[in-house]
Amino acid sequence: MHKIWNFHGGVHPVENKTQSNQLPIIVMPIPTQLTMHLSQHIGKVAKAIVETGDYVLKGQLIACAQGVVSANVHAPSSGHVSAIADRTLPHQSALSGPCIVIDTDGKDQWATLTPTANPESLSKPDLLNLIQAAGITGMGGAGFPSAVKLQPKSNIHTLIINGAECEPYITADDRLMREYAAQIIAGIQLVQQLIDQPHCLIGIEDNKPEAVAALTYAADQHTNIEVCVIPTKYPSGGEKQLIEILTGKQVPHGGIPADIGMVCQNVGTVKAIFDAIILGQPLINRITTVTGKAAANAGNYEVLLGTQVTDILAFAKVDLAKTSRLVMGGPMMGFTIQDTHTPIIKSSNCILAAADLELAPVADHHACIRCGQCEVACPAQLLPQQLFWFAKAEEFEKAQDHNLSDCIECGACAWVCPSQIPLVQYYRYAKGRLKTINSEAQLAEASRLRFENREQRLVDEKLAKEEKRKARALTAAAAQAAKRAANPSAEDPIAAALARVNLKKQAQTNIAAQKSPEDEYKELKTAAAITRTKLNKTRKALTNAQAQDHEQAQELQQTVIALTTKASAAAAELHAYEVKLGLDPEKEKTLQLAVAKANGVVRKLEKSLATADDLQQLEAEIFNAKAIHEAAGLALEEHQANAKEKPTSTQES
Amino acid sequence: MQTLYLAIAILALLAIVFGAILGFAAIRFKVDGDPIVDQIDSLLPQTQCGQCGHPGCKPYAQAIANGEAINRCPPGGETTIKALADLLDLEAIPLDAEHGSEAIRTIAYIREDECIGCTKCIQACPVDAILGAAKQMHTVIVDECTGCDLCLEPCPVDCIDMLPVEVTSASWHWQQPAQLIATSNLPYSRGESDHA
Ligand code: SF4
Ligand code: SF4
Ligand code: SF4
Ligand code: SF4
Repeated sequence: MHKIWNFHGGVHPVENKTQSNQLPIIVMPIPTQLTMHLSQHIGKVAKAIVETGDYVLKGQLIACAQGVVSANVHAPSSGHVSAIADRTLPHQSALSGPCIVIDTDGKDQWATLTPTANPESLSKPDLLNLIQAAGITGMGGAGFPSAVKLQPKSNIHTLIINGAECEPYITADDRLMREYAAQIIAGIQLVQQLIDQPHCLIGIEDNKPEAVAALTYAADQHTNIEVCVIPTKYPSGGEKQLIEILTGKQVPHGGIPADIGMVCQNVGTVKAIFDAIILGQPLINRITTVTGKAAANAGNYEVLLGTQVTDILAFAKVDLAKTSRLVMGGPMMGFTIQDTHTPIIKSSNCILAAADLELAPVADHHACIRCGQCEVACPAQLLPQQLFWFAKAEEFEKAQDHNLSDCIECGACAWVCPSQIPLVQYYRYAKGRLKTINSEAQLAEASRLRFENREQRLVDEKLAKEEKRKARALTAAAAQAAKRAANPSAEDPIAAALARVNLKKQAQTNIAAQKSPEDEYKELKTAAAITRTKLNKTRKALTNAQAQDHEQAQELQQTVIALTTKASAAAAELHAYEVKLGLDPEKEKTLQLAVAKANGVVRKLEKSLATADDLQQLEAEIFNAKAIHEAAGLALEEHQANAKEKPTSTQES
Repeated sequence: MQTLYLAIAILALLAIVFGAILGFAAIRFKVDGDPIVDQIDSLLPQTQCGQCGHPGCKPYAQAIANGEAINRCPPGGETTIKALADLLDLEAIPLDAEHGSEAIRTIAYIREDECIGCTKCIQACPVDAILGAAKQMHTVIVDECTGCDLCLEPCPVDCIDMLPVEVTSASWHWQQPAQLIATSNLPYSRGESDHA
């Protein structure tokens, strides 16, 4: 018997497992429609490789993984792709995400599979490729791609198989272990082959004696696979907690199990690996528990991925009128389903249809009385009450310092809290805000770098221009000197000297003016634009404030008045300058618009050319439109040329 | 008397030695740039929008270091003001309304079939987030756009829209639970069931 350790904290909620674990797994008939989500919440969205209207076979690849943390998606049954569009995600947010919708034809026709007869001959990369190709992700919780987790690392000495299933109500893994023990053991052997034959420990809570018996029997011949019975305590199925129970070692803060030579896999995932390698079947179905007092036929069902929750509810005879809350996942870590058309995904282990008062109703919460019970219950050895205060006061950095990231959101603290504070929601909120803050900081840093690079570039460009101008002036002067040398008597020396003095004076006055008219013009333009933008923004704010009868309205009103005068002053100044330079931006804008419009007309006409019947007329029209476009372009160019000449002439005069 | 000379000599020697160490340290560990300006700059949102009245965040950071008010950056809003107040040991004051108000973050999108390829927006963008060439369609690199609005004004055909940043399942997060009053007479509260 393997030695068992204990972990800090934990709670003992009512198990409620017998409602669903009495009957064998029932295979649910193929639903008429399957909705396959392309994203798994983390990592990139898989890329669809089929199109609407395509006929797909069962097990056919329909979307390819993109990047590392992404998984392949396969058709769970044969039928036609009826849509590739956004559908509600099985996620707390109830947002939508890209999906492939398949209308099944009931034939359930398999694509050609490639089973492996003697897996011992497979190399490690081959095994890993097969697991990756089958789109296997963790079936216990987060849905992390298994191929990434099982990537060969050195020094892995222990393989932990998670069969604890500690959350109340859920019995999917229990039934799976009872009925597929041999497949699970075979799957474990494949994983052992993949990572240098580590010793394997299977952790199962002592409330599942049948599963323990089945697996012990199946593992009888294998000396390096041990079935360990662990005491029932929530959350013993947490990865880090299970590792501590089975080995007495703790995963370091911020680390992963591989750091201490361990890899953890769920029993469902191991079974999926068996199916993928030995049978050649990709991951297209899973065992899901349907339970709760509102479910007449509570039990475990083998459902195709993509089956909508409504279909499952109908099949398990769930009385929706009696259901007060519909939860996906367990009562401790699950989330309320808002749209029953949400599909089952690879990590959906339970649907809980709770009748009135079966789950603790969402009550109002009271103030924290600092009783410290949460700290006693926390399996991650955190200080939940401190984290709560920080999250509430929005002091996220302090929460971070108190190791908020180590919180596994197990809900043990909220379960024991006498003040019924929804602690986990506070932590999720704080984690979300921290994530946004970090990503914003990253974005800001990148923007800062790009801004600075741009400034540097502009300065460099200006210097280069100046340099060029100087070089030109020098060559011109040299040329003139040469000319003079060739023809020395051409000029009166006194007159020349006077002219030189004059030139110098002029140059000095130019320097005194410092800014070139173009620069000044630009500055005025920006100033006018900025005041205009500010005015518009304040105006908007004002209308908002007025609509809401805000007390700020008065203040804003005054700001608007002040800004209006400012803006008109800036505009007047700009206009005066424009007149001085002989510019006419209004005209330029109208001309530009005319060009753009004419261009649009030409393009539109050309487009309709492809479908038109009366070709000749259209061609004539296009000819006309092109002529207009050209004329407009010419007018614009002429105007611009004029404008360019003028400022230089003012400069010289 | 001799002790006095000895003491003076020892002190003088010590002064020379420490002076040398300090002098060496001043050269060896010289800090480039102005640390306080950089610190202030790192707290600004780097939108580079100019709403503070300066041509970018760095110049505003410089101005703050020279004593300008810290409440002129609307994109940063309350959070930035608070952070700046913490750093500079000043009082956190409300945002100056003359410089604009806090708004939701937006990103520029060019209606590409209307773009005439004038390159004006490229010249206006402070963070090089627009891609295009003369007489070619332009587009905004959405991951790099800071939403500063500076490209709207120069566009001669008004084909740039500022759209709010969309919430995706990756960026979505839980909200803080609603703050309820401490006592209530809802039938589900625990006090009630205890009495029952
Ligand atoms: S259990 Fe609840 S009331 Fe007690 S210290 Fe923790 S948060 Fe506060
Ligand atoms: S939810 Fe987090 S803080 Fe609360 S008990 Fe679980 S790990 Fe600890
Ligand atoms: S107002 Fe704009 S430019 Fe000024 S500091 Fe804030 S983000 Fe930067
Ligand atoms: S694309 Fe427009 S809004 Fe975005 S950063 Fe550039 S100038 Fe600002």
